[in-house]
Amino acid sequence: MPERAPAKAMDLDFAGLVRQHQAMVFSIAWHVLRDRAVAEELAQDVFLSLHQHLAELESPEHVLFWLRRVTSNRALDVLRRRQRRPMVSLENAPEPVALSSSGDPMLGGALRRLVGALPEKARAIVVLRYQEDLDPAEIARILGIPVGTVKSQLQRALALLREKLSRSLGEIAL
Amino acid sequence: MNLEDELRSALRRHEPSPDFTARVLARVAATPARTPARYWMRWATAVAAALVLAVGAVGYRQYEGERAKSQVLLAMRITASKLNKAQKKVQMISHRGNS
Repeated sequence: MPERAPAKAMDLDFAGLVRQHQAMVFSIAWHVLRDRAVAEELAQDVFLSLHQHLAELESPEHVLFWLRRVTSNRALDVLRRRQRRPMVSLENAPEPVALSSSGDPMLGGALRRLVGALPEKARAIVVLRYQEDLDPAEIARILGIPVGTVKSQLQRALALLREKLSRSLGEIAL
Repeated sequence: MNLEDELRSALRRHEPSPDFTARVLARVAATPARTPARYWMRWATAVAAALVLAVGAVGYRQYEGERAKSQVLLAMRITASKLNKAQKKVQMISHRGNS
């Protein structure tokens, strides 16, 4: 007969952790993958894995770091597996339409689509930078890449996004 | 318009579906847990297997050594017997020559 998680208290703590971090985990996956169903599935897998590794995590900060790292890396794995399927590159992505002003919900949607068309690593970097408000050093630790790479990819991604958006916005300066 | 502010707004967090927590907990309940006992059992099995392999390797080397030793002894015995026979023949020939 399979063994079950023994401590009821731990289960309660775990449920609290899920409720506390589910928006963060799901949103990283969703913004990187641009697919709600796949993002939910991935987020569930991440929490299942968290439950199995909970005893190894030493603090709430460690849990937060672990969740961000595992979610980002798994989302990148899904993207790599998808690479066989034809994808629209940022250069070939359709121009966002009817962008008029700051705070426009259509602008948000257009930006999310453009972020979703960035190269996989740059996409994860942009999501961690602007969704999680992390600095390049923290992003580098999470993704296991040099800080210089994070900075250069971030600059390149912002330049691409700026260029793509400015084509749509016309003369409005970014 | 500031691109970075717009990105923060566009990439803000969203909640998953309302039954997300319940589904995670259901999956956790249906999954066998990795308990410390299982963890240590896995380690103990690995250590025991390593020990058996090490003891087996040492035993095999000893067996091979003994086998090689007995083969050398047998070869020496055969050589000694052949030498004895040759020596006897030489003695017989020299004895005949003298008489």
